[in-house]
Amino acid sequence: MVNSDGQLFTIEGIAAGLIMLLTAYIVVSTTSMYTPGDTHISDMQLEQLGSDALRMMNTPNSTAESGQSMLQNIIKNKETERFRETFLTFCNSTTAGSYDNLQLSADLYYRTGTNTVNKYHLTHSRNLTGGEHAVRVTEWVHLNDCNNLCGVGLRPGVQTVLVEVLLWRD
Amino acid sequence: MLNDHAYLSIDFLAGMTIFMIAFIWVATMIPGLLISLQGGTIDYDAVAYRTGVILVEDPGWPSNPPWEIKDDLQKDDIERFGLSIEKDTPNILKLSKVERFFCSTSFHYPDDYQHRVIFGDRPYLFNISLSTFDATMSHSVGDIRPDGYGYIRRLVKIKYPSNSTINAPNFRNSGLSANVTKHVFSVQLNCTELIRNITNLANQIPAYQIPAYQINPLRDRIMVNISNMRGAGVFHPGANNGINLSAIEIFRQNPAQPFGKVREYLGPDPMVSVYIDGGTTTVPALPASVTDNVSVIFSPGFFYGMASDNTQLYINYTYKLEQADNFFNNSFTIPYPYDYNHVTRPILKEGVLEVAIW
Repeated sequence: MVNSDGQLFTIEGIAAGLIMLLTAYIVVSTTSMYTPGDTHISDMQLEQLGSDALRMMNTPNSTAESGQSMLQNIIKNKETERFRETFLTFCNSTTAGSYDNLQLSADLYYRTGTNTVNKYHLTHSRNLTGGEHAVRVTEWVHLNDCNNLCGVGLRPGVQTVLVEVLLWRD
Repeated sequence: MLNDHAYLSIDFLAGMTIFMIAFIWVATMIPGLLISLQGGTIDYDAVAYRTGVILVEDPGWPSNPPWEIKDDLQKDDIERFGLSIEKDTPNILKLSKVERFFCSTSFHYPDDYQHRVIFGDRPYLFNISLSTFDATMSHSVGDIRPDGYGYIRRLVKIKYPSNSTINAPNFRNSGLSANVTKHVFSVQLNCTELIRNITNLANQIPAYQIPAYQINPLRDRIMVNISNMRGAGVFHPGANNGINLSAIEIFRQNPAQPFGKVREYLGPDPMVSVYIDGGTTTVPALPASVTDNVSVIFSPGFFYGMASDNTQLYINYTYKLEQADNFFNNSFTIPYPYDYNHVTRPILKEGVLEVAIW
């Protein structure tokens, strides 16, 4: 015989549904979650700043000296200290005069005389311990003459080398 | 025997159906709910980033004629600010654009900026600042930053305009026939050479960077300094021969038009500044007495309407003396060329631009 045991009446079903929906809505709308997008914003800011710094260093200030950029001269003359100081000055300066706290580790990738790709560590401001949340920025640098460049065995002649900088906020 | 096992009531079916429909509807809303959960920081950072890109990588609109040469009466024609020289020279800003952008008498915070550089649906407040590393320039527009704001920092180089300094005694005419009271000195702006024929520069630097080092009379500020005029006389040296700058005239020549005068300095002109003997205010009218030096600054865009990239422009200075003498005069020789070999082109200056949005 059919009776009402174990059955859900319409009005109860609607009420239960609404309560569950309301609960779900309140829970979701009051939850604060730190999404990957937030992390990406600060990464993007660092990447943009690092890219700007390398680009500025690789833009000649005048047409004198055959239009060589500071970055080209730094690599040619193996001025690693100048690279570190200039890059950090560029990245850390603000319009208010205060100084940010960005650190770097830079490498140079190039082809050797045997046509293999080699890496030369240019400089760093802090040792990388592995815990830093660093971003990577790169810049291709065109060198007209690589003879005995840096003393690190670059292939002689014209070559475009890659400068890679890991950048992080201390 | 029939019984009621596994039966569902109509009431339960109706309730379950309504619940499922409502659940699906809510589920489709969840992505939207999560976006709103991420808060305003992302939005502000994104707007700051976009504003930074517009300022640093875009030359603005209109580009021809460029927005920075629009005067205050034409500022409604400016659709978008942008400080880059060209779209192919990101991060390299032009001084005239920078000075125009931060001109507080021309543009008012925030209304004039919100729909030309900030954009967006909300009336954002902001602070935009720019300074050079050598501390020779510092500009800012906007409010003081609150505790929380979206932010971007961009590194830039700023191109300063060229200038030429002419030592007057080096261009003294000679001979008795030149012993007169009226002398004309001409400066030539060869637009064809300056804008088109830039092979010398192209050999030195990558082609895409050329606008960063180019002299473009149609868009750049042109500055001509004439110095040591008291030493230009022969029979009446010094400043006691009543040197008077009586006229500054612009002549034009191009393949389509005959040689002729197109402009003359008649007095205060917002596009031309004439400074005499180190004065800080432009002379009200000509003729004007000169003791030693004359500086004339033509604002960006002064030549825009009167020339193109195949035009020869001549700036003629007419001087009158009280007594006849040989003087600063090249009307019998060749005009002084304002070109890459005869001008001072300042190096690009590094700086930092910050955008804060809230």
